[in-house]
Amino acid sequence: MPEVPTASQATSRMSARRGHLGVAAILLALALGGCASAPEPPTFVPTGDPVADANTRIALAPPQDRPLWQARLGLEAMRRGDWAEARAKLDDAILAQGGMMGPSADAARARSLFHREDSKLFVGEPYERALVYYYRAIIYWMDGEPDNARACYRTAELMDSDASASTYKGDWVLPDYLDALASAHMKDDGSDALQRAQHNYTGMLPPFEPEANVLVFAEFGRGPKKYAGGEYEEELYFQPGSSLARNAILRVAGQSVLIGAYDDVSFQATTRGGRVMDHILANKVVFKETTDLVGDAALIGAGISAYQPDSHRNDGLTVGLAAVGLISKIASAATTPAADIRCWDNLPQGLGFAGLKLPAGQYPATVEFHAADGSIVSTREFTLPVNPAPASTVLLLSELTP
Amino acid sequence: MTGAMVFAAGCASNGVKNPDGRPVTQMNADEKGFVQGTGIESQDLVAVSDKMARSILAVPQIAQALTPPVIVLDPVQNKTRFPINKDIFLTRLRTRLNSQAVGKVQFLARDRMAALQRERDMKITGEVTAATTPATVEFKGADFFLTGSLESISTRTAQGQSDYVLYSFQLIDARTSVIVWEDSAEIKKQGLEDAAYR
Repeated sequence: MPEVPTASQATSRMSARRGHLGVAAILLALALGGCASAPEPPTFVPTGDPVADANTRIALAPPQDRPLWQARLGLEAMRRGDWAEARAKLDDAILAQGGMMGPSADAARARSLFHREDSKLFVGEPYERALVYYYRAIIYWMDGEPDNARACYRTAELMDSDASASTYKGDWVLPDYLDALASAHMKDDGSDALQRAQHNYTGMLPPFEPEANVLVFAEFGRGPKKYAGGEYEEELYFQPGSSLARNAILRVAGQSVLIGAYDDVSFQATTRGGRVMDHILANKVVFKETTDLVGDAALIGAGISAYQPDSHRNDGLTVGLAAVGLISKIASAATTPAADIRCWDNLPQGLGFAGLKLPAGQYPATVEFHAADGSIVSTREFTLPVNPAPASTVLLLSELTP
Repeated sequence: MTGAMVFAAGCASNGVKNPDGRPVTQMNADEKGFVQGTGIESQDLVAVSDKMARSILAVPQIAQALTPPVIVLDPVQNKTRFPINKDIFLTRLRTRLNSQAVGKVQFLARDRMAALQRERDMKITGEVTAATTPATVEFKGADFFLTGSLESISTRTAQGQSDYVLYSFQLIDARTSVIVWEDSAEIKKQGLEDAAYR
């Protein structure tokens, strides 16, 4: 014959059941709370044409990622000689940098505990910001606006001037060198900038030729990549880029012009020092770990409380501890300290430059990219069209040109 | 439990300012917009060109001239860190002078010389009609050159970014090279990026 519970036992069991139901209800509510889902992103179908695909990416990308795609596409278009596309996209990417100043809703969101850092508008790390200007300047040269090219070089150096260590502030070589060249080209004094360039480069700079009408920009290897480290991917790291080629030789009109790699993009990426955002992410980690710990303690406490003998059990305490534990665990899970690793990933590892004087005309030319031991890494033949004076001719020689 | 539900619901997207964006707002060119940087902006252009236009009109060579002086615009030199359409300053200055002091000064359309020369050549060859003898040179020479330069000092540290821009303009006598008028305006701006970008 089954044992009939006493009135007090029945009340106690009902109370316990209510407690368990309460915990279950909280769990259900929290589970349902997480049911909100973002709309499915539009499907991207690649066409195989990098420029068309990147334009589609820009259209489909979340607004905060568009400047990244614009920078990628701008550079890709330059390598393909699509200057109009490059000009438009780099201008768009530069415009995004103008939005960094002062309060910004998406930047505030990126700092908040429950949003990822990459929810902010992409403007890149200082080396990426500087390079948007560096590449835009090339097009200004081509458009016959050396003063605007010089303005870009000056901004490029400025973007790099908040490094932690003073040694690495504004230490790009080519932007200063080209600032000096543009000044000399316009009969201004660029000697200060030239001195800075020489100070930041231990070897020999390219011959300084203000009358040069053919400006050759070279790109070597593949640039750095970003990756996240730390238990919660809260630390931003760089995988340095690499380049087999150390220099290039351009053979044109009986001249052999040596083009060295004067700037190292990986060096620039890794010498910035700590970011303010790193402290914010570290704080997010502390919050995440603390809430996780508090959640564990509260849930264990709730478990212990739930299995106390009836005479000692406090159901209110059990439910309270369980609620605190769950909320704390959820807060911990929702905290997103992951670093922003969106990366302008089609940058080169090295940047080179040479200027030469050639009369207007069409010239067959060859460029050889050489490794450190002098062996030829790659060779390309092409026709160099030199514009009549006073226009400058711009040539971008890249190992990354398709 | 209610608190937990509110908390869970709060994980979605509250706290976003202007989630629906902002409607297009028409503003005066001299107003500071809600989108601002430390660079050269429309309100600077308006303030500087208005000041210069007023200043030029007070120059004795202009104010007391018996016949309207003829001025050619020579492109402004941009020595700042900001890539800009530098001609916009002189364009606005010219339009202000032309509208505020009708007939007191005349500007030459030197930037249209290629088209003007082509038109004159067609008149000379009889391809198009001419009201006067086309072979006679009627293109005017300049009495003055109006030009200027934009220079800047920029600083960027962890504490923020500061840009000082000096806008200076000159009126140069084309015959003697004497600078008959010069004036300047200076604007300094500073700001600090959100910590998320630092």
